[in-house]
Amino acid sequence: MSVFVAVDQIEKVFSLSGGGKYVALKGIDLEIKKGEFVSLIGHSGCGKSTLLNMIAGLDLPTEGVVTLEGNPVTRPGPDRMVVFQNYSLLPWMTVRENISLAVDEVLRDVPKEERQAIIEQNIQMVGLSHAADKPPAQLSGGMKQRVAIARALATRPKLLLLDEPFGALDALTRGNLQEQLMRICEESHVTAVMVTHDVDEAVLLSDRIVMLTNGPASKIGGILEVDIPRPRRRMEVVNHPSYYSLRSEIIYFLNQQKRIKKLRAKKTEPIARHGLEKINLELGFVPLTACAPLVVAKEKGFFEKHGLDEVSLVRETSWRGIVDGIVGGYLDAAQMPAGMPVWLTVGGHQDKPLPVVSSLTMTRNGNAVTLAKKFYEQGVYTATDLKRMLLESTEQQHTFGMVHPSSMHNLLLRYWLAAGGIDPDRDVSLKTIPPAQMIADLKAGIIDGYCVGEPWNLRAAMEEVGFTVATDLEIWQGHPGKVLGVREDWAYTYPNTHIALAKALLEACRYCADPAHTEEIRQLLSRREYVSTSVDYIHLGNPNDYVCSLDRPMREYAHHLFYGDGVNRPSRTEHLWMMTQMARWGDIPFPRNWMEILERVCRVSVFSTAARELGMLDIKYHRGPIELFDGVKFDAEDPIGYLNSLAIKRDFSVAEVAVDARRAAA
Amino acid sequence: MTATVPSRSKATSSSASLQSFLNSPAANIVLPILGLLGFLTIWQILSSVGLIALPGPIQVLTDERSRYLILNPLYYNTDLDQGLLRHTFMSLGRVLKGYGAAAIIGIGLGILVGSNKVMDKALDPLFQFLRMVAPLAWVPIALAALQQNEPAALFVIFITSIWPILINTAVGVREIPQDYKNVARVLQISRVKYFFKVLLPSALPYIFTGLRIAIGLAWLAIIAAEIVMSGVPGIGFFIWDAYQQNYVTEIIVAVVYIGAVGLALDRLVAYIQRLIAPVQ
Repeated sequence: MSVFVAVDQIEKVFSLSGGGKYVALKGIDLEIKKGEFVSLIGHSGCGKSTLLNMIAGLDLPTEGVVTLEGNPVTRPGPDRMVVFQNYSLLPWMTVRENISLAVDEVLRDVPKEERQAIIEQNIQMVGLSHAADKPPAQLSGGMKQRVAIARALATRPKLLLLDEPFGALDALTRGNLQEQLMRICEESHVTAVMVTHDVDEAVLLSDRIVMLTNGPASKIGGILEVDIPRPRRRMEVVNHPSYYSLRSEIIYFLNQQKRIKKLRAKKTEPIARHGLEKINLELGFVPLTACAPLVVAKEKGFFEKHGLDEVSLVRETSWRGIVDGIVGGYLDAAQMPAGMPVWLTVGGHQDKPLPVVSSLTMTRNGNAVTLAKKFYEQGVYTATDLKRMLLESTEQQHTFGMVHPSSMHNLLLRYWLAAGGIDPDRDVSLKTIPPAQMIADLKAGIIDGYCVGEPWNLRAAMEEVGFTVATDLEIWQGHPGKVLGVREDWAYTYPNTHIALAKALLEACRYCADPAHTEEIRQLLSRREYVSTSVDYIHLGNPNDYVCSLDRPMREYAHHLFYGDGVNRPSRTEHLWMMTQMARWGDIPFPRNWMEILERVCRVSVFSTAARELGMLDIKYHRGPIELFDGVKFDAEDPIGYLNSLAIKRDFSVAEVAVDARRAAA
Repeated sequence: MTATVPSRSKATSSSASLQSFLNSPAANIVLPILGLLGFLTIWQILSSVGLIALPGPIQVLTDERSRYLILNPLYYNTDLDQGLLRHTFMSLGRVLKGYGAAAIIGIGLGILVGSNKVMDKALDPLFQFLRMVAPLAWVPIALAALQQNEPAALFVIFITSIWPILINTAVGVREIPQDYKNVARVLQISRVKYFFKVLLPSALPYIFTGLRIAIGLAWLAIIAAEIVMSGVPGIGFFIWDAYQQNYVTEIIVAVVYIGAVGLALDRLVAYIQRLIAPVQ
């Protein structure tokens, strides 16, 4: 279908009374098709009503243009009827008079009898025949809004614009009106744009949801397609599989906007001290046992020891929060899944390459694959068993959870499935879920299993909702888990701070690896501001217990490595392995300039300086090819040949990835 | 303890009965009459003991001249010697002319000023300034400009009562809710229809507030004007004439007339307002 309404590079600037200017909206581009229902959602003050007013023509953009069927909108008109939040009925007229004022004015050419019929029909449509001769003061809020909707629709507009139409109504009335509006829109095939701040309302009513970022200079932060079929019923949409993911997507977006606002408000200038460029750092982490080095560095004073006096740890519930924090520049550094620096650098995030460097591997291992308990009861103990079971039950769709496309969990789970002959995209489906939500989803039966870091495998086993079918000990013993990641431009701006940060964390890693501190660290991690879970679920591990015994699999867990030979130094071979795996599953193209990318991502020099200054000259670097449990060797000299040799893979592409060189030179 | 409980309940029951009496319609009649009687009594006592030189209410009623005035409100000898009601009507006639002109011009100008930002900015300070000029100060200017007593009196009423009407109308028009304006803009309503269906109904409560203030001022102004410019028959002239001849009781009767008419005018406008623009 063709474009019906086009919003083209809109910018809106308001002059302030003090003589300044406020940029409300900037660079808004939106195309609306005929018959579509589009919602604009965002926090108050994000300019969503301003955008609606500009489509209505009540307000004109400072830059850019709005067109309706190709004609620029320069003034308001009855082809774009607006339903205002506060009804805007004229109080000195009855319901009928209010509607006929609109109809008589807009449909002037229609004969009088026909106009009368239209008025009556619209009063009936919103079920207000009994109140047609009452003034608005005698109507309830819901009835008033119905009159406003009837008035708008009676003029047969091309486009219906609704400005928080149900915002002032109680929940029950709102629900009823939403259904009525949906029915009316479907019957009369109206194109509609609605401003709302109600997430459920947006999902229920819309074909597309446009999410606006916070002002000043608000822009479109994302557009969601709602794939729930129509006609929709309020009580039934919640059962649609997309409903909750759409809902949580919007809520995540809105929360993120709120946090950005808060961080923006407190963002301070870099404080330089002790010969370091910046000592006030915001470090992102996700609550997992693997965040121990950051927690220890903070609680045991390693940051202060190395001059970083004002470090605050920012708890993100998902890896996506870390990505947004690093991309948005309001996190200085973060604990990242091992694959994330390469993934961001190559352009995994919205196809925009963002050079990120890693100078320290903070943990290895600590992950496992958990399956729902029902699989154990069906005798599924290995990947081969799982494949047999999947072949037996092809009519059922099995879903597995992982935490981020670039995380080791995704790569290991896919590798493990593929090694067992299961195509991770075709035979099952994979879903991105925040770590802490895995158990709840497993319990609810939304997913059948997952691969995630501790404590979430052990906890599933202890709560007897799932069992650990494979730990990383059985997939890739000693694989990289979490790394320290910072933006490349940050690393160039604050080189000494970067080294100090690596030193503090490396020392914290050594502290974590000492079995004498295990109890203390477990207690620290279980606290509310960190992992916030019972200390019983947190274990740092007994490295001798290498095999997942199926005699007692309900208590098996994976073991973290924090420090030691070949543990902490960033390894190009490993990053290359992850790069090939991400390309294998079509998440990123395989960069033809992979040498250059690896060179830029792996900051061995920072690690070496940190280790030397700490006097840790004894930690050796692990060399040699990577070999996983299936015995396939990874040849770091010929990654493309390796990719081609794999049986189960997507159609990967090889492309030159142009990473901004200017930043590197700066 | 046992002693205080009944006394307290008695107190609450008496205060409760007082409350119910205050809410009854009888209280609206009985209490004002009591208040009036109290006022008259104190006045009578003050004048009987000689604290003030004014005659008391009883003297007003018993005095021959004032009793004649009260009993014969419509007698007519000459233009300057006629019944009080006739004088009142003369004055009222002037008020209606001056106030009527003020209402028409005031509302018209008010709408113009309220809907036009340039006019508003240019004229508002001037209006606020002229509003502060006392009615009596206009008398010499009016006389100098118009040369004749009658038109000058009308002008004083007009100029006194126009400001509250004009200013309130302007505010009413300026304060038309943006919502109503937006509705009109979206529907592309014609200017005439906008004026009658949106602007006027929306500003009406403000306009009536102005009219009510203005009628009181107009009545105040006419008395003052008539007192100052003698020779025009009216209640103001009557008071001045009686004062010259030292008929104090007559003055008191006339004052009662003035108060009564002023109250009636105010109530009349309020009644019209209720009729035309009921409270939303």
